[in-house]
Amino acid sequence: MFRKLIDIAGRECRLMYRNTIYLFCMVLLPIFVVVFFTTLLSDGQPVNLPIGVVDLDNTTTTRSLLRNLDGFQSTQITAHYTSVNEARTAMQRGEIYAFLYIPKGTTQGLMSSTQPRVSFYYNDVVMLAGSTTMKDLKTICTLGSAAVGKTKLEMLGKTEDEIMTFLQPIKVDLHMLNNPWANYNVYLSASIVPGILMLFIFLITPYSIGTELKFGRSKEWMQIAGNNPFIAVLGKMLPQTLIHLLVFYGFEFYIYHILQFPHPGGVLPIMLLGLLAVLSAQSFGVFCFGLLPSLRMSMSVCSLWAVLSISLAGATYPVFAMDSFIQGVAWLFPLRHYYQCYQVCIFNGFGLHYAWVHWVCLMCFMFLPFFVLRNIRRAMLEYEYMP
Amino acid sequence: MHLTKIWNRIKEAVRDLAYIWAEEMKMCIKDEGVLIFFILVPLAYPLLYSWIYNNEVVRDVPVAVVDLSHSAESREYIRLFNASADTRVAYYCNNMAEAKDLMGRQKVNGVLHFPADFALKLNRGEQTSVGVYCDMSLMLTYKAIYMTSMNVASAINAGIQIEGSSITATTERDEEVTTKPLDFEEVPIFNSTEGYGNSILPGVLIIIIQQTLLLGIGLSAGTAREKNRYKSLVSLRTHKNGLFRIVGGKALCYLMVYSVMTAYLVLLVPKFFGFTTIASGSDLIGLLFPFLLACIFFGMFVSCLIRYRENVMLIVVFTSVPFLFLTGISWPVASIPGFWQGVSWLFPSTFGVRGFLTLSSMGGVLADVKVPYIALWIQTAVYFLATCIVYQVQIKRAAADGEDGMAA
Repeated sequence: MFRKLIDIAGRECRLMYRNTIYLFCMVLLPIFVVVFFTTLLSDGQPVNLPIGVVDLDNTTTTRSLLRNLDGFQSTQITAHYTSVNEARTAMQRGEIYAFLYIPKGTTQGLMSSTQPRVSFYYNDVVMLAGSTTMKDLKTICTLGSAAVGKTKLEMLGKTEDEIMTFLQPIKVDLHMLNNPWANYNVYLSASIVPGILMLFIFLITPYSIGTELKFGRSKEWMQIAGNNPFIAVLGKMLPQTLIHLLVFYGFEFYIYHILQFPHPGGVLPIMLLGLLAVLSAQSFGVFCFGLLPSLRMSMSVCSLWAVLSISLAGATYPVFAMDSFIQGVAWLFPLRHYYQCYQVCIFNGFGLHYAWVHWVCLMCFMFLPFFVLRNIRRAMLEYEYMP
Repeated sequence: MHLTKIWNRIKEAVRDLAYIWAEEMKMCIKDEGVLIFFILVPLAYPLLYSWIYNNEVVRDVPVAVVDLSHSAESREYIRLFNASADTRVAYYCNNMAEAKDLMGRQKVNGVLHFPADFALKLNRGEQTSVGVYCDMSLMLTYKAIYMTSMNVASAINAGIQIEGSSITATTERDEEVTTKPLDFEEVPIFNSTEGYGNSILPGVLIIIIQQTLLLGIGLSAGTAREKNRYKSLVSLRTHKNGLFRIVGGKALCYLMVYSVMTAYLVLLVPKFFGFTTIASGSDLIGLLFPFLLACIFFGMFVSCLIRYRENVMLIVVFTSVPFLFLTGISWPVASIPGFWQGVSWLFPSTFGVRGFLTLSSMGGVLADVKVPYIALWIQTAVYFLATCIVYQVQIKRAAADGEDGMAA
């Protein structure tokens, strides 16, 4: 039996070596994806988002307010407009994400204590840009208001402490656990990149089995395995598993060690999760092929599943906010469990038992192929490839 | 005499074009792989995605409270926090360890911590603070907890300030002005509900159009290549010798199918689920026509580079997510590094999504999408030429193979 396994694994290595698509999909493209996301998001937070200003007052007071605003890290004043309409059009064209409107008479109103009003408009079509610019504009308006109040209180002879207490009696003391910079590279690269790595595994697994049929090698393959589908599949998957694992661990080494993404959970859950991610994705691929023993159909199902799983993992939009039916469906996606294990055990550093359900679910995926082994055997021995 | 000759040639060209168009059309319906990606996926996938993001906003994010102060002030804060739309108080804990345990079990996404001297400091006239601990593995819940706690704090603060300023202020109006000398108004101007679906779905729809086109065209080209005797893309039948007729005929077929699909995607799907669509018909056609052409020729160009039909899935499927990020819909364009911005200009989806957002989500007109519009036409022209060149190479190769075959 061991002999047969080695034979099939060796044969698989030769097949992979001859077909360059394996090199692309198992090594080069995954590396590309890792590099793509980590460099695309390398800023961590959006910086210097372009915003506009409609300053109809144009006094030293408003200009100093704008200078302060320009000093903020995440926004940058790129244009001044003469009317709200002009600024709105620029926003529609995507030139700016937000603008501040200071009507005429603002400074005068401040001096005469008639509580003038400024407005800021932000665009939530790109949500991250919208919330970032909104935060900055809100801060600058609050600060502008506070500065005036402060001057008045100083005039009345209040001390610095008294003034601070008056302006902000209750302070919100924010703790952003494990990602204090709200770094989007940490947030997205650690959840989306594994999804795409698993997507490749999802696809390449049925591809490698299905091409046996397509190129008329299926009987030869079964013969080497002595018509035992378990040995046939296991032998075929082994060399692939090793390569996938190498790539996955390479990715994890890169983000956790070189880029130093937070991982208070330590090495054990990282290694375990990498192993389970690869194995569950492979098992799912084998299962799909066994269920629909046609190269095209199984790959279509796997690709649809893989692309959906990136949404259903719940990293960007939380699963508990989705419809209850979809909440249930999300359990059928390995990436969902991957993400849960990641965030509980690696990112937040809780013990493995905190996410035991999801660990077990990931392992359950590994039993799926056993249900379809007979189907695969029949397909390999009896079916003909139809293009 | 001369005129009739030209007339005959035109007639022949149109007939050939229509023939290839019809052949490709038959192929689309017969080949179940193509059928899946041309018809089924564009019909079903948008519905699925709309369903996933249909709830738009995250409400009632569960939070644990550790109240060591046990005072009227802390309870007021908790009451207001619980009453806010985005958050709810799910558990009361005796200490932080308990709250942390709940966070590990994913029962809560954040913790509010009131120190024992919370009310004491407040009544002494000192600045006091409330600790807000957020789980950062979900940005939307972090935002909900953080924004709510800020809003509650400033609401309570305003009340305290008015009380406090009554010593110095003379009238009620004076109190108001002292606490907030400069008033401000925040206006979310587009996507005013701050809905996640409204923000991400327009991009997903446009990406679906491009990706299914790439997959369908690639599959159809792969099949054609595998079935042909000389394993080449174009077979050498008498009817198929004009380059433009082949490229044009195939493109017309895809355009026909996708005019219907695109109308369904951008007009019907958002209607079903109530997503924002404030574009006018003529503007949409103006933008999406060059977008479709660019996608089709891009797809035909890419399809020539692929040997077996299944390989197209291996190469195309994963690109959906990077394409979506390159459009700037989730990570703002201004923050995309220059190199990747340059790369993004190669793909129709980049301009398609940006233009579509302006038209459909922000109510712009065609004049507002000048840049995407021009870029899409340039892409159409470039990819058309590129397609013609690769097809020409294929035809030549097919011809050469054909002669070899006959010689042998």
